[in-house]
Amino acid sequence: MSDRAERIDLEAPLSGDFQAVVRLIIGGIAERVDFAFEEIDDLQLAVERLLAETCTVDTVRLSFEVGTRNIRTSVAPLSAHKVSEALENGDGPAGELTLRRVLQTVVDSFDVREAGDGHVSVLLEKLKATP
Amino acid sequence: MRAVDSRRAANSEQAREEDRELLRRYHKAGDTTAREELIERHLPLVRSLARRYAGRGEALEDIEQVGAIGLIKAIDRFELEREVSLATYATPNVVGEIKRHFRDKGWAIRVPRALQELNAAMSGAIERLTGRLGRSPSIAEIADELKTTPEEVLEAMEVGSAYSTVSLSAGPSGDEELDPLETIGGEDSGFERSEDRAALEPALERLAPREREILRMRFEEGLPQTQIAHRVGLSQMHVSRLIRKSLGTMREELLR
Repeated sequence: MSDRAERIDLEAPLSGDFQAVVRLIIGGIAERVDFAFEEIDDLQLAVERLLAETCTVDTVRLSFEVGTRNIRTSVAPLSAHKVSEALENGDGPAGELTLRRVLQTVVDSFDVREAGDGHVSVLLEKLKATP
Repeated sequence: MRAVDSRRAANSEQAREEDRELLRRYHKAGDTTAREELIERHLPLVRSLARRYAGRGEALEDIEQVGAIGLIKAIDRFELEREVSLATYATPNVVGEIKRHFRDKGWAIRVPRALQELNAAMSGAIERLTGRLGRSPSIAEIADELKTTPEEVLEAMEVGSAYSTVSLSAGPSGDEELDPLETIGGEDSGFERSEDRAALEPALERLAPREREILRMRFEEGLPQTQIAHRVGLSQMHVSRLIRKSLGTMREELLR
């Protein structure tokens, strides 16, 4: 794979069997970067929890920028209000298992961007572990 | 021979009496330790029944967990006025829960046999490779170990999570249940420390001690799944499923 990031865009419904398709696609993309089983599981979990806690629409757009040792995943549109509640209110009390804490554990970084119309996109970056 | 038979009968009668006493403590006095003891006493029955459904492409430990849900329902629904023993009452509940699980998920029908077998083989392969490599293996390495393609490994991963993962869409799915095998034993720590957790506590309390401990190790200590799996004596795939299920269960509880 070249140094230039490849980009893959996906628009998928969140109902029924398509949830499995989304996970499978994330797995397939991560496999191309030679992510470990556990790293793939982490990325799938990050997207899964993000959607479960902040997505209020029926169809989601996922964009993957695939580098040589990393994947940047953009997830939109997500409810600005829910994302703000879940991610931007600090870590919560010690020991509390917030979405923020989950993402901090399973991806290397995340960022929130305005998407208009009361929505935001969340960018998740996962790096392949150094051997 | 007759002496052995009569000893067995006496032991069996004693076990039934002990069960009834535990059931009384649980149903009359709300003693949840009695409930846990009942679950523990009857897990061998669940394991025995679960073995009948092994070899259908699903890990035995997962079938046992489903069966244990039936056991817990039987314990919770048991009426003290009943003349039957708990084991007799629980058996159809356990079998029913396992059958319903296979039927609802359409496992045997929808999933090609080769993928079922690959999924069943993956857990062992991941453990072997993790031990050999000292890290979580890549999909290509798992595929190589199992003499298959990375695409098939990914599909088999999905097969494994299809029946246990939480919904991607917001809101409770209604079919995620407490993992009953995890309700037994284990000291609690970590997440119990904070006092200011009024909203989250009921959600955490729905989880069994071992599930809470797994979440604590993953999200507080930051341990990778491979290390958690080693500590708690489960496969990495099982730890992954428990984490997903626990987070989904907590979400449901918070939305109640």
